[in-house]
Amino acid sequence: MMSPRFDPSYALEFDLGRGQIRMANASERVVVPSDALLALCEGASEDAVRDFGRRLGTEAGRAALAHLGDAGQASLEAVVEHLGGELALMGLGSLGLERWGSALVLCFTHSPLGGAGDALLGSVLEGMAQRAFGRDVVAAKLMRDAEHVRFLITGRAGADKALGWLSSGVAWGDVLTRLASAGRGES
Amino acid sequence: MNQDVTRLEELLARVQRNAAQPRRGRAAPLPSSPSAASSPSAASSPSAASSPSAASSPARPPVTPPAPPVAVSPPAPPVAPAPAYSPPASFDSVDDLLADPFPASSAPPPPIPAEVIPDPIPAAGVAAGSEHISGVMPVAEISEEPPEELLEDDIVEMSPTEAAAEAAPPEPRSSLDELDFDEEGEAPAPRAELDEEPPASSSRSKVAATMDEALAHAAEQMEIQEGREVPLKTPPPESGPQAAMAPLPAGIHAPPAPDIDELLEADIIPVSGVTGAVPTAEQLGQTIDLDEARGPHLELDQPAAAAPAPPTEVAPPEELEVTLPQREFGGGYQDNLMPPPEARQDLDAHRQRVGEESIPPPPESLAQYPSAHPATSTGGMFAPASAPSVTTESPNEAVSTVTIEASSRAEFVPELLARPESSPGPVAKFIRADAPRPSTFLELLDASLKLGEG
Repeated sequence: MMSPRFDPSYALEFDLGRGQIRMANASERVVVPSDALLALCEGASEDAVRDFGRRLGTEAGRAALAHLGDAGQASLEAVVEHLGGELALMGLGSLGLERWGSALVLCFTHSPLGGAGDALLGSVLEGMAQRAFGRDVVAAKLMRDAEHVRFLITGRAGADKALGWLSSGVAWGDVLTRLASAGRGES
Repeated sequence: MNQDVTRLEELLARVQRNAAQPRRGRAAPLPSSPSAASSPSAASSPSAASSPSAASSPARPPVTPPAPPVAVSPPAPPVAPAPAYSPPASFDSVDDLLADPFPASSAPPPPIPAEVIPDPIPAAGVAAGSEHISGVMPVAEISEEPPEELLEDDIVEMSPTEAAAEAAPPEPRSSLDELDFDEEGEAPAPRAELDEEPPASSSRSKVAATMDEALAHAAEQMEIQEGREVPLKTPPPESGPQAAMAPLPAGIHAPPAPDIDELLEADIIPVSGVTGAVPTAEQLGQTIDLDEARGPHLELDQPAAAAPAPPTEVAPPEELEVTLPQREFGGGYQDNLMPPPEARQDLDAHRQRVGEESIPPPPESLAQYPSAHPATSTGGMFAPASAPSVTTESPNEAVSTVTIEASSRAEFVPELLARPESSPGPVAKFIRADAPRPSTFLELLDASLKLGEG
């Protein structure tokens, strides 16, 4: 099933008379400075940030699901195109997808939030997956460099193992290899 | 001598005749300047009436003598004038007439002190102050004028001999011996005087009176021109500075100049007619005697000719053209061709030096069977060497042992092992692992959720 291409035409509506910004098929938006948002996230608790992020992802998943139709039959490229388009309209960066064997890795590039906003970005991905595909997933942060940040999309058990290995100094590539080996019954 | 006497008599007669004539043309010397008439400038003046030629012309109208200068300060004459002759006013006796009228210049007359009167008024002032429009000038003023300076062109030097020659008619020449080109028809003068005082100006050539005289004069000129040696005033032209020829080192010499005779002889001999029996001159000079041929006789083998014809001593020029062997003829040496004796000795010495006989044959490549090597050609002047025989003793084709039977003189026998040929086949097998690729995002998500479980 071929999904239509992502079309951002007239995605945002600026009502200057009312002083409102609306997104198509969505609620009103507020354009705020990124550093102000980061300051708010840094001052808030971890659960508050996670909940804030989940809400952002839920909105993105809902909008993408409206374009994807049957989410269960959506291809990898179609999901990346539509979900990535919705996150780009939010100004959170460019979404990418990597498949390391059976592991699903989603990454952001050119995120304006920087390293301080990685927790927020992970929460956005968790809310998106839950809203679009009905799966409770955990986005474990594998690595971070200047422009890239990678998140392993897995369950709770796998996320705990990966974070444990990462905290012990195992490279994120080896973590993925170990997770794949553990999934095949090899220890 | 007789001629001199005759001339003297004629001179005497002429003097007497001139003396009988009235003296109207002579300028009366002023008492205030007695030496003015004897001064060189006054004597050389063309208007001087004391010249005999002027006095001898009867048709000449009387010339008004110019006023002699009073104040004589003669400028320096441009050229040294010849001593002028001033004849005496009258001849008292024949002895005076026979006396030497032309004294030698070596004994100049004693200098007459000239009375120099300084000019009180400058010449420019006189000219400016006394202007006579009518052109008539008083004598007093004329006498006070400065002497007129004569230009060089206005001065005509005349010697008394010339004056006498002009007065006397030319005498016809009796013979060619009497011609004297130095005098050029002038009146004869004393020899000593001519030698000592040559005329400063060239005289005008005399025009021949008759045809015989002109021919004689021309013949004389031809003789003089032939006998005269033209002096070399300029050196002969040269082709420029030439480098000094340094002596060449020993063994090196410049090419000799071509012999004209040889060149002429070579040109005489026709080119088309040269034969082997008649060499040219150039070939004779470059002939090198060759030694007699030794060893077997070499000759070109022609496929068609069964037996080569015996060489003729003198082959005609047409037989020098030999047709090249055909394509099917490969050429080669005869089997019984043997090296010359000198080469044989050198070859034996070379064999002893390098020990060629003890050198084993070159090893064969392990990648090839010994039998693959082609048999070496044994033809030629060398004796065929015994080639080592190679046998395969191993019954197994996979690994064969090859024994080479070398000559008995070899120190060791190499044992060569050859790898059997193997047919090309698959060496490795690659098993492609077909990883399960999720077709949908949801499958991948579910697979990723299972990581770490269990």
